[in-house]
Amino acid sequence: MMQELKLQEEPLSTPVARGRGTAIVVTSGKGGVGKTTTVANLGTALAQRGHDVVLVDADVGLRNLDIVLGLENRVKHHLLDVLEEQASLDDALVADKHSPQLRLLASAQTREKDDVDTQKMRALIESLAQRFDYVLIDCPAGIERGFQNAIAGADEAIVVCTPEVSAVRDVDRVVGLLGNRFRPRLIVNRVRPELVAKGKMLSVDDVNSILRLPLLGVIADEPQVLIASNRGEPLALDGSSKAGAAYRAIAARLRGDDVAMPDVTVARPGFIKKLSAFFGGRR
Amino acid sequence: MSARRIVFTSGKGGVGKTTTTVNVGAALAKRGARVVLVDADIGLRNLDLVLGLEKRIVFDLVEVAEGRCQLRQALIRDKRFESLYMLPAAQTRDKEAVSEEQMAAMIEELAQSADYVLIDSPAGIEHGFKNAVAGAKEAIIVTIPEVSAIRDADRVIGKLIAKGIPVRLIINRIRPEMVRSGDMLSIEDVCEILSAELIGIIPDDEDVIDTTNRGEPLVLDDSKRLASMYGKIARRLQGEIVPFSDLNSRGFFDRLFAGLKAG
Repeated sequence: MMQELKLQEEPLSTPVARGRGTAIVVTSGKGGVGKTTTVANLGTALAQRGHDVVLVDADVGLRNLDIVLGLENRVKHHLLDVLEEQASLDDALVADKHSPQLRLLASAQTREKDDVDTQKMRALIESLAQRFDYVLIDCPAGIERGFQNAIAGADEAIVVCTPEVSAVRDVDRVVGLLGNRFRPRLIVNRVRPELVAKGKMLSVDDVNSILRLPLLGVIADEPQVLIASNRGEPLALDGSSKAGAAYRAIAARLRGDDVAMPDVTVARPGFIKKLSAFFGGRR
Repeated sequence: MSARRIVFTSGKGGVGKTTTTVNVGAALAKRGARVVLVDADIGLRNLDLVLGLEKRIVFDLVEVAEGRCQLRQALIRDKRFESLYMLPAAQTRDKEAVSEEQMAAMIEELAQSADYVLIDSPAGIEHGFKNAVAGAKEAIIVTIPEVSAIRDADRVIGKLIAKGIPVRLIINRIRPEMVRSGDMLSIEDVCEILSAELIGIIPDDEDVIDTTNRGEPLVLDDSKRLASMYGKIARRLQGEIVPFSDLNSRGFFDRLFAGLKAG
């Protein structure tokens, strides 16, 4: 099968062998925790590293991934057009403005989640995985039909959680619903180190003491995330943004690279020691 | 006398629906109204956590719908207030476990012995949303000044208007310094896009995170900056005319409202 010697020498953990790519669903249960931002930034970061990436907005009726990427005026056809064979996949894929190897399959805005045939969705994700190195699926909030459609064709799952008890509870529920087919990995988003230090916010440690999932990354809260979303320019492109660096690090980890966890702590010695002990234990 | 039945919804998740429902409900209860908060997010309930009542749940909304208990048995009274009750959602069932008709019947029954029935909608526009709206006569849209949240709110407003449900707007998590620097949409921008009547503005405040995690509604503590803001929303709901320019003593909201004709 593998004829090129170079490929055989690559470590087994590298998910990008020639041939079928990996389909990853990004989900959370609770809304507004940063799923769409995560998908846009991981997709951008992976494409910037030279991978062919397609982002699929599975939020039929409430699409937003096009806005976060700044592509809302370039969408001609959407997911349901493809599923219902009203448009070809090639016509529906929108080329990203910033990263030549990134494509978006937008969702339908004026249709319902019940209009999606789950079997056809699974087949579509499979055919995308044949063409792209990474298929990132942006799941809607909740655990209804839209969730089932979004996870249908995925090989892997990433759960995004914020340091709030309600978000943790919802993620815990989603992990249960994902079942044994997935071993979801965790991104803790919107951490405010200064609030954690004051004891007013759960720490990454607190969150994962409940969830007990492999930690894929930690993103600190910064106003630039919101600004970038409104402008349609993913932060992963911004060399000066800490969140952007964190997303690039997560993308590298997804590829199987060994990258240290970013330091999201404030200058409080005891606290840093506590967190780094935690991350040290994880690696 | 029958109660006001108000659904709190948004389309997008994580904009503060549950926090708003709890605090507006608690503010109404503090003013002497009899209030029932209904968690319509079956499978992903959180209203109980925000109220700090999660350990007191015995029966839930699905069990009421299925006739396995009386409605009053499922209601939990919040002892910190005179007249605040919660009807919890089921955590291990899904949204199809209750029909729109069952939901409407439950809201109707609650409305017989309350002044306000506030329904906390799940995110999205699927069955859970339809259930949450089924028994409502009014809607409050909670949104934040982000393009994606506003697009989702717009979609939901369209659905509610099609059902003949009047909508009012709460703009949550405003950051004055970001509006000033041009990095965040202003109140005026949001109102213009959504063209819905504004009933409240809540600034971004870290007290929300802390009090939510501890299960202590902000309005319990009058020293909290946001407590009076939720109080004003409650007063506006009760028909009082409360000027928006009072919201911030430093006059920031005056500037925000420069050019905005109606309050």
